[in-house]
Amino acid sequence: MMNYVIVGASAAGLACAEQIRKEDKDGRIILLTKEEYLPYSRPSISYYLKGKVTEKDMLLRKPSYYKQTGIEIVTGAEVTAIDRKKKTVRAGRKSYHYDKLCLCTGSKPFVPPMKNTQSKENALTFLDLACTKALKKKANKDTRAVVIGAGLIGMKAAEGLSKICKSVDVAELSERVLPSILDAKSSKSVKKFIETEGHITFHLGDTVTEAKSKGGKITSVVLKSGKELPCDLLVLAVGVRPETSLAEKAGLEVNRGIIIDPGTMRTSDSDIYAAGDCAVSVDMLDGSKKIIALWVNAVRQGKAAGSQMAGGEGATGGTFAVNAIDFYGMRICTCGLINAAGDKYSDRVIQSGESYKRLIFEGNRLVGFVLINSSENAGIYTNLIENKTDVTTLSGDILGTPSLMWFDKETRKSRLKGESA
Amino acid sequence: MKRVYAKEELCLNCRLCEVYCKTAHSQSKDIIKANKYEDPEPVSRVTVCGDKMLSAAVNCRHCDNPKCVEACITGAMQKDKKTGIVRVDEEKCIGCMTCLAVCPFGCIKTGKFAVKCDLCCTEDEPACVKNCPNRALVYADFGGKG
Repeated sequence: MMNYVIVGASAAGLACAEQIRKEDKDGRIILLTKEEYLPYSRPSISYYLKGKVTEKDMLLRKPSYYKQTGIEIVTGAEVTAIDRKKKTVRAGRKSYHYDKLCLCTGSKPFVPPMKNTQSKENALTFLDLACTKALKKKANKDTRAVVIGAGLIGMKAAEGLSKICKSVDVAELSERVLPSILDAKSSKSVKKFIETEGHITFHLGDTVTEAKSKGGKITSVVLKSGKELPCDLLVLAVGVRPETSLAEKAGLEVNRGIIIDPGTMRTSDSDIYAAGDCAVSVDMLDGSKKIIALWVNAVRQGKAAGSQMAGGEGATGGTFAVNAIDFYGMRICTCGLINAAGDKYSDRVIQSGESYKRLIFEGNRLVGFVLINSSENAGIYTNLIENKTDVTTLSGDILGTPSLMWFDKETRKSRLKGESA
Repeated sequence: MKRVYAKEELCLNCRLCEVYCKTAHSQSKDIIKANKYEDPEPVSRVTVCGDKMLSAAVNCRHCDNPKCVEACITGAMQKDKKTGIVRVDEEKCIGCMTCLAVCPFGCIKTGKFAVKCDLCCTEDEPACVKNCPNRALVYADFGGKG
């Protein structure tokens, strides 16, 4: 009987465990998580913050599910070392033997150096349920909150806090909001919308350099521009880095993220795999190696790793970025190479009122899109990107609502039958 | 599993499937109230695509390896192991619409949460099929191969 050990129980870890169980009914599967909770939806923490979901709603599976499927979950188990010779991992005083090991350690918050923000009780990160609970406890109607970072995490924290706090200020070093998912033009209109709807004040091209404190508590922050903002709660959401310390200590190949074979998810040790935000992916659209920190990417990699670990041949298929998110009812859906620059790329834009649609092409292929309040049937665009479809073969206006009727008869018929797209 | 299959050569673009789908998924279950007055307006899970010349009613394929389930960040979208039906748990869904961004068939609609075909769950035949006057929709066990 095989012993499988998985470190980390979010998207990749859980998908990995489930895939192993599908392909190996008898093997022992141990899922170790340093968190105190059963696998839950990390992206839901902002919805928890604003009170839209309960802790119970956030659980990815019912508590009874793990026993039924024979997946042993150990919570509160932080793995501190891998012994590659003995094939064991250590968590606290226990050690676990593995035949196959998968590292799904995710990301850790990146906190840039700032004066006087270390170990202050009202300076918090926003990445998991534990810190969200702490944040929720400290935020009230009199709180003046400052968020550092206007990326996905910072903006979701700001949105959640804006429903609770007296004021929310966001400082971002870049000149625009949500730089990873929006292009320059759309980020301007999104910023304006969020300012109006959420009463959030932005300080773009600026960041916090220093905090002033009293008795272990931050009272105000000083920005690079010299501005000083009163601050009762500081959220550090500048960005994340892959959590690779365990892999590094074990001598696995790491370059920003854990290096894996993009087909098999195998690391430089043939019995150790890695999946999700801690691993380096290859973007199928431009061949670049990067961390694609996305739920669906983590699930696909976790599944592929699980299959390979159980002796199967599962693979991820092509990987590229897809994001869907909403702020105050504004729906943003983006995919692919949204910031592609250079002669080989072209784009087409249609805009009316609060909706915006920009499609990015490389020759006759769609390689990216930015959809704001216009995401109807967006998955058909995503599919065109994934399949590298020649868009000149489609009938209908590509800037209109995507439709199965765009495709030729044969494709249409096979899609209507539900054959894999 | 049984799925709904659309025949484009028989579809007249009458959109009665949408009317009946809306009704079946309304609070009142009354065709007039559901289609004219109910607020919030019920959402049809089936959509007639195309024009008078060529059209077909498209709804969820209940895929064997559903991309929407893979992409769901809350575990709300699940494929039922017994029935094969891909369903949204409305309590868990936060309406991020990542599922919509990956569905290659364009079968997920936006509401308060993700809205999609549930094959009318308890019925022996989904409302869209039952009420298609020209048999352009069939409910059959083609196993996806046809």
